[in-house]
Amino acid sequence: MSIHSRLINLFFILFISTGLYGQIKVEVRDGAISEYNMAIAPVINSEGASPAQSKEISDAIGLVLDITGYFKMLDPKSFLEKADVPPSSVDFKNWMNVGANGLIKGTIKGSDNVELELYFFDVAEGKEILRKKYKSSAKAIKKAAHRFASDLITLLTGEEMSFMFSRVCFVEKSGEAYSLISTDFDGSDKKVIYSVKKIILLPEWSADGKKIFFTSYEKSNPNLYSIDVATKQIKLISSHEGLNTSASASPDNKTIALRLSKDGNAEIYLLNTTTSELSRMTKNMAIDTAPSFSPDGKEIAFVSNRAGNPHIYRLWVNNPERVERLTTQGKYNQDPDYSPDGKYISFTGRDEFFAFDIFLFDISTRSIARVTQKQGRNESPTFSPDSRLIAFSSDRSGKNGLYLSNLKGDKQILVYAGEGEVVSPSWSPEVIKQ
Amino acid sequence: MKRFLVLLMISVLAGLTFSGCAKPPKAERELAEKAFKDALVGKDCDKENYLAAEELLNKAREEVNKKNYAKAKELFQAVKEKSDAIVKYYQDNPDKCLPKKKEVKKAQEEIEEIEDPATDPELEFPVIYFEFNEYTIRSEDLTKVDLISRWMNNFPEKVLRIEGHADERGSIDYNMSLGEKRADEVKNRLIQSGIDAKRVKIVSYGEERPADPASNESAWFKNRRAEFKRVN
Repeated sequence: MSIHSRLINLFFILFISTGLYGQIKVEVRDGAISEYNMAIAPVINSEGASPAQSKEISDAIGLVLDITGYFKMLDPKSFLEKADVPPSSVDFKNWMNVGANGLIKGTIKGSDNVELELYFFDVAEGKEILRKKYKSSAKAIKKAAHRFASDLITLLTGEEMSFMFSRVCFVEKSGEAYSLISTDFDGSDKKVIYSVKKIILLPEWSADGKKIFFTSYEKSNPNLYSIDVATKQIKLISSHEGLNTSASASPDNKTIALRLSKDGNAEIYLLNTTTSELSRMTKNMAIDTAPSFSPDGKEIAFVSNRAGNPHIYRLWVNNPERVERLTTQGKYNQDPDYSPDGKYISFTGRDEFFAFDIFLFDISTRSIARVTQKQGRNESPTFSPDSRLIAFSSDRSGKNGLYLSNLKGDKQILVYAGEGEVVSPSWSPEVIKQ
Repeated sequence: MKRFLVLLMISVLAGLTFSGCAKPPKAERELAEKAFKDALVGKDCDKENYLAAEELLNKAREEVNKKNYAKAKELFQAVKEKSDAIVKYYQDNPDKCLPKKKEVKKAQEEIEEIEDPATDPELEFPVIYFEFNEYTIRSEDLTKVDLISRWMNNFPEKVLRIEGHADERGSIDYNMSLGEKRADEVKNRLIQSGIDAKRVKIVSYGEERPADPASNESAWFKNRRAEFKRVN
């Protein structure tokens, strides 16, 4: 570490601890920021680095800053300063004139082993605020860009953004072919975990992010399996006659909640994954399904049509007789997902125009907020590990793709579209922080 | 060429000879044209006369063009007579002239006795359809289930699997249960009618196996279903 960067780090420790965010003009009020215009200048490439790599870096940083909803991203077409001006010679007047509050610049060198340097400047102060240097393989530069974006957002807002260090898994259906796929949160680094010409359904991460539970018809009956994402080893978890689906891991990773129909009707059970001991949570002639553990492991949100139409309920694990109905609006509410901070339950609801959209139930106020509207069929919401974003499937561009949105719904971005239809996304816990 | 010249000469002579008939036979022509139109009804059943009348009419028109009005008048009168005869024939012979009526009558007479489909070992099983978000069997589909019940009684060694399905709307998770409930309702009806529960398996495919992959009401209706499959 050079003396220079030591100084910068020291500067920031002081900066953050004295809480001088006002000085760089980013104020977070109720999750909204007073207009903060961010410019990302083209990353300058040299010594074998390609323009495509430069673009990959600015796109990665741009997507992350944009999706938080905290920044207004300026259009690079409006920029006045030439793209090849090095970070050391920025003329801040050029950036003031395009209305930028903050400016990100960078350089990338090398082809296989890449050296990436990223800078953040406060335009009004004409000051360098953050500088980071990363060495990585060409493949991993996107992750370096995410680390920079994460540090920058934390610096400007005081908030941690761990969604950048997590993955999303989902099923991609293409005719009779089903694939279990995982990607980085931004749809990159796709990995096909399991592929088969049998139905596979409803993947869900284990609490440690090492396994994915899913249902497969490989043996004709819809049995529940787990697959180790690193070794691809598959293990049979539950094979009662009828449905064995919809696993949700408890936070301590010792238990899963699941839906079994062995009693002739869909019921929610808890399964101890080491002892295989089962305990029944619901006893009802109606459909009870789609369990989702609360982050403290004490409650389970689920779907039931015990009152006629499917609605969102919650039960208490220690006293499953205690059941509370949460949604009363609408006639078709499904797919609940408890947020990791315990504040919300997201779900899919069908509105009065028969459109399927993503909604949030606020547990403390019991109010419902809408995340998506008038953009195709939106289903299967899943929270990021920091509860800041929601991933869901949407057919708004014709075919089902994977979308991200912030909780307000004012930024919604397509991050993955494949050959087939993307269904049932599940966001991992925070697993890949480097 | 010679013949043409001779004809021309004759007609010129004729025109001079019958100078008393210099006007075209307008009234006769109108009567003939109308009668021929009416005769159309007998075109098929009195074909010979109809074609003859048509030929006469064409000749008459030719004579008018040649200004042989007397000859034309005669011909028009002949057309009317023939046409009237055709209409009379049509009226007198409805059995010949109204073949369609006859065919219908014939079909009604032929009644075929159909075998009870429940006795057919190769019976193509009917599909049970459901309303949106429902799993009660619609009254119009109860007879389909009853047919299966009678079939199972006739073939007591047979085991069936009922496959329950949902349309694509709503969550994959909930639709698995809807498909299962639908299959289960049909199974319960069979059991109530006396079929051994061991002979009826069920499986749900949720929304994964649509009968029609389109996204519209008619496809959705076809997809909300329970199908019977032979296990043995």
